[in-house]
Amino acid sequence: MAKVVVVTSGKGGVGKTTSTAALGAALAQHGQNVVVVDFDVGLRNLDLVMGAERRVVYDLINVTQGIAKLPQALIRDKRLERLALLPASQTRDKDALTEEGVSRVINSLKQMFDWVICDSPAGIERGATLAMRFADTAIIVTNPEVSSVRDSDRIIGILDAKTVKAERGERVDKHLLISRYDPARAARGEMLSIEDVLEILSTPLLGIIPESEEVLRASNLGSPVTFNNPSSAPARAYLDAARRLMGEEVEMTIPTEKQGFLGKLFGRRAA
Amino acid sequence: MTSVANPRQSPRFVCRSYMAVALAPEPPLVDWIADIEQKIRDTGSFLVGPPVVLDLSSVKLSKSAIAHLVAQLEQRGVRVMGVENVDPSQMDTALPPLLRSTKRESADVSVPAPKARETQREKQQQVRETRSAPATLLLDKPVRSGQSIYFPDGDVTVLGSVGSGAELVAGGSIHVYGTLRGRAMAGSNGNARARIFCTKIEAELLAIDGHYLTADLMDMALRDRPVQAWLEGSALKISALD
Amino acid sequence: MNLFNFFKRQGTAPVARDRLQILLAYERGSTRGAPDLLAILREEILTAVGRHVQIDSNRVNVRVDRGEKVSTLEVDIEIPNAVRMAPRRKRAVPMQRSAS
Repeated sequence: MAKVVVVTSGKGGVGKTTSTAALGAALAQHGQNVVVVDFDVGLRNLDLVMGAERRVVYDLINVTQGIAKLPQALIRDKRLERLALLPASQTRDKDALTEEGVSRVINSLKQMFDWVICDSPAGIERGATLAMRFADTAIIVTNPEVSSVRDSDRIIGILDAKTVKAERGERVDKHLLISRYDPARAARGEMLSIEDVLEILSTPLLGIIPESEEVLRASNLGSPVTFNNPSSAPARAYLDAARRLMGEEVEMTIPTEKQGFLGKLFGRRAA
Repeated sequence: MTSVANPRQSPRFVCRSYMAVALAPEPPLVDWIADIEQKIRDTGSFLVGPPVVLDLSSVKLSKSAIAHLVAQLEQRGVRVMGVENVDPSQMDTALPPLLRSTKRESADVSVPAPKARETQREKQQQVRETRSAPATLLLDKPVRSGQSIYFPDGDVTVLGSVGSGAELVAGGSIHVYGTLRGRAMAGSNGNARARIFCTKIEAELLAIDGHYLTADLMDMALRDRPVQAWLEGSALKISALD
Repeated sequence: MNLFNFFKRQGTAPVARDRLQILLAYERGSTRGAPDLLAILREEILTAVGRHVQIDSNRVNVRVDRGEKVSTLEVDIEIPNAVRMAPRRKRAVPMQRSAS
């Protein structure tokens, strides 16, 4: 049975799109059939992060309006054959999305894939509520920083109220993904600790993604970080998180960049 | 948004009491309205939405002046559901219903009333009162930012934390077995004996019977500790429980 | 990460710039009303083919790749051998599962 996952946060700029691409790719790398769906109508970005921006023909709105068939709008990843993207429309606005349309598309995608991962826009408006509407599982991306944590708390409340599952009296599975975590700054007390964030949000942890230039590098190249450099710290964190999402028990660690042979030779360039 | 009604059965008919916020205008009215406007700006939605009763004991107003005042408030989003402490001759059907006409000394309704007032009180149907055996609303999940719990009928107990930006309004006391980060308003139906308890305080605002303290006025030494808050006269006091 | 990658590490920003330039050139055109050549070609090709055969929209696959100097448009239309079939021969095609 396919799982519908929403990647959400409330606040913008915390790493939703990066995380959607990385987790989607990680699941595909673990052998799952995955589609990532961009719900940020009018401000799409998932295509760019996935490196598919030149290949967009049709989009989510075209499909909900019947202008294109779903298989025509899906863009297969060139590197990972189990990974596909359904892009958002860049020219329309969010009102073009209807609940019925989204419901139909999600149901069709569930027949075709093991995982349907919805990349939510920031905010709590229509696009965000529609992205979470049909979710079985929610991944709340949070930065260890006060405004992000508060917005996450708000989003968790909305997940418990406005999803189809919640309205049926069932529970949306919720997981916290802490991104842009900087262990050095946390040690100096300049950043909320993992314990603080978990205590405030009382939601189980899916993973901790360390702040890393690898993320920027991957997005520059249009390649999910888990694929672009699988041994990098954020890639390992995402790969582990994907395994936890699949139900595996994986010990929670904060991966750090390993100093490779060359790294030692040339000294700490990154530090 | 949760509000659990607790209808009390009676063999003949059912009486219900509702919580309302009482506003007592003071002359000059223009300044008073400006103050109210400021208050709405400061406290957000507190006055906007829930029903409001106008206590006109401190002002002497003509029929048209009352109508004007009601309209002024409505313009600012404050819905007047009733008027009290005004001469019935000043009322007509176009105005909100008169809830009680007799003049009485101002403001509070809920402090255990002197015997003399008791009989008069029993006659009133729309009296805001403290319950002898208050109902309790038990929430077994954290209250998240943006959620508002409104329970005028009694105590609210939360097993979990109350997030920053969340709001609890209880007619009785508030108990939070977790961290209180949002706003807690106890005794909202005029119960000055209501208290607020929490196992860890980081609250944005505490209020009992309309007397409030914002975070910046709270003693920093109490932050992160288990505390209780109560009312002494019109001063909100907070002390550690540990 | 191999040795080659290591020395190339500095080089991601130019790639990002190139990708954005191509994308924005196209998006600026399409949002300011300038026609998107690939979209026009796509529609005209489908119309032209549609004049001769009945096209089952489930059997059309369009791929584009927008490049800096050259873009490619691939219109993949499955044409049944018995041209102008009776409507009942139209096949309802089940959605395909994942990687094909």
